[in-house]
Amino acid sequence: MMRNRKVKWVLWGAVLSLLTFYPKLVGPYFTNVFVHFAIFALYAVSFNLLLGYTGLFSFGHAMYFGTGGFATALALVHIKGCPLVMALFMGFLASVILALVLCPIVSRVSGTAFAMLHLAFSMLIYTLALKLRKITNGEDGVSGFPIPALHIPGVVSFDMRDSTNFYYFAVVVIGLSVWTLWFLTKTPFGQILVSIRDNAKRVAYMGFKVPQTKAVIYAISAGFAGIAGAVLALFQDVITPDHALGPGTSFQVILITMVGGVGSFLGPIWGSAIFTVLQEFTSRYIKEVELLMGAILILVMLYFPKGFAGVWALIERKVFGESPSKRVAEGGRSSQ
Amino acid sequence: MDPITAMYVTQGVHGLAYGMVLFLVASGLTLIFGMMGVLNIAHAAFFMLSAYFAYQITVSTGSFWLALLLGPIATGILGMLVERFLLRKIHTLGHVAELIVTTGVMFVIMGAVKFIWGTEFLYVSPPPVLNWSANVGGMVYPVYRLFVMVLTAWILALMALVIFKTRLGMVVRAAVSNAAMVNALGINVPRLFMFVFGAGSFLAGIAGVTIAPVLSVFPGLADQMGMDAFIVVVVGGFGSLGGAFLAAMSIGLLSSFGVQFLSQLAPLLTFAFMAIVLTIKPTGFFGERE
Repeated sequence: MMRNRKVKWVLWGAVLSLLTFYPKLVGPYFTNVFVHFAIFALYAVSFNLLLGYTGLFSFGHAMYFGTGGFATALALVHIKGCPLVMALFMGFLASVILALVLCPIVSRVSGTAFAMLHLAFSMLIYTLALKLRKITNGEDGVSGFPIPALHIPGVVSFDMRDSTNFYYFAVVVIGLSVWTLWFLTKTPFGQILVSIRDNAKRVAYMGFKVPQTKAVIYAISAGFAGIAGAVLALFQDVITPDHALGPGTSFQVILITMVGGVGSFLGPIWGSAIFTVLQEFTSRYIKEVELLMGAILILVMLYFPKGFAGVWALIERKVFGESPSKRVAEGGRSSQ
Repeated sequence: MDPITAMYVTQGVHGLAYGMVLFLVASGLTLIFGMMGVLNIAHAAFFMLSAYFAYQITVSTGSFWLALLLGPIATGILGMLVERFLLRKIHTLGHVAELIVTTGVMFVIMGAVKFIWGTEFLYVSPPPVLNWSANVGGMVYPVYRLFVMVLTAWILALMALVIFKTRLGMVVRAAVSNAAMVNALGINVPRLFMFVFGAGSFLAGIAGVTIAPVLSVFPGLADQMGMDAFIVVVVGGFGSLGGAFLAAMSIGLLSSFGVQFLSQLAPLLTFAFMAIVLTIKPTGFFGERE
């Protein structure tokens, strides 16, 4: 037990120092690759909070991701001298507001109806973003907005157009967000989520309010997806409907989560890493990326249905000789 | 006939024709979902693949009719293989796993199509017999579209006959409502699944070949039709053929008149329609379960 804890501290130290020195070690290109990975990791973790923990399968999570991105971009375009943190907060706020508007409709249902309602609403928002050219510039999206520096009054000011500075900013924002979500799953509230997934009726009998709980986690998940989208907008200085709001983005997060391992907190992060590496290598050497992606998805489902997290749990058990009992039970299928 | 009425009639006929083809694609999807609970994302990819088969066969042999015969058979067999060797193995893992596998199949088909035929637009000309325009009461209408409507109407009638009047159809309907019970009664449900999957792909194949001369053949064909067919199934209620028919016709007419009156915002109509129906009745028109 003691030995395990020590190993854990050493591991954390190693991860932290690696994160600190990473930009120096690999140069700007791979620094940007990492930021991209981190953005999609946060997006997938927020999605998995719904699918893996609460059993709500959303077919349109991109609407929160994209809304966050567009809100941040539009805030920077229209508000003169909008500080960086406020722009980020606008992304979070816009997604939470959208979630609260849709809550009364979607928290009543679960299973396929929940998924389909999300498909409908996300496609509505996506088409709106394409058609409302005056606000969003249609397919071209919002671009070329000023990226403000991170200004701590009287102390220091970081230029966010520098890729290394932005890397540290993104790692801190995304790291804090992921940690918050992780902490949330460890609270009694997090445990109620899991029990809603496993048996919603019984939770209701025990006196917890199921629709309200779902609404709360729904808004939280939406807000953090919004933060991921906001960081993407700041990172690329451009946000387009196809990249941020489209059905492909909704789908991508499902794939990332499934390949990484649904129901395990770290699963989606692994998934994002796997997809980033795959895209990085395949797009460089092979032209038929789709073909390869499809084959990988089929093989993963046939041979590793619990995703990468399932394989990892197996390795962990072999190495540490202890069953990872604190992990939330895997599975997490949407209840029918 | 005055121009306004003519416009209404033309748009109405357009809408019905699109609705018919849409139903042809959606019927396979709704049967597969009703029986197996599989949301077959690859369904529209089969449809697109069949349009490419139509192109290849007409270019190689010069006969559209041969394409109409062979294209659907090829997609049907492919569908059966996908069910037998992929979906059957993961059926116990639940719906999300099946969703991922069919997505994988879609990606593979899309990738293969782009690899073999490239991404440019390909054109298939209708057979010479049907390549002219009819003049009905002052209205000019391409005969090939009328042929598509008549053909799909015949196929639908045949399908309704099989499903509602034969023993096989009875077994299929029973399996839609309770597959485990039908299995317990001594019917080989996995084999039935395979044939329904094949039949669904076959219907998507027919739709793909018949639509090839109307639209052009390109990889994006699957996106538009796939999304619309999916919406038809959802709005009609999973597993309900009648609901799918009603939904397909509504969406066909809605998109046809939408283009006429609100050209910019036409795509919104379909999704707004879906959102409204699902908000009021989460199970769709005639669906009994979520």
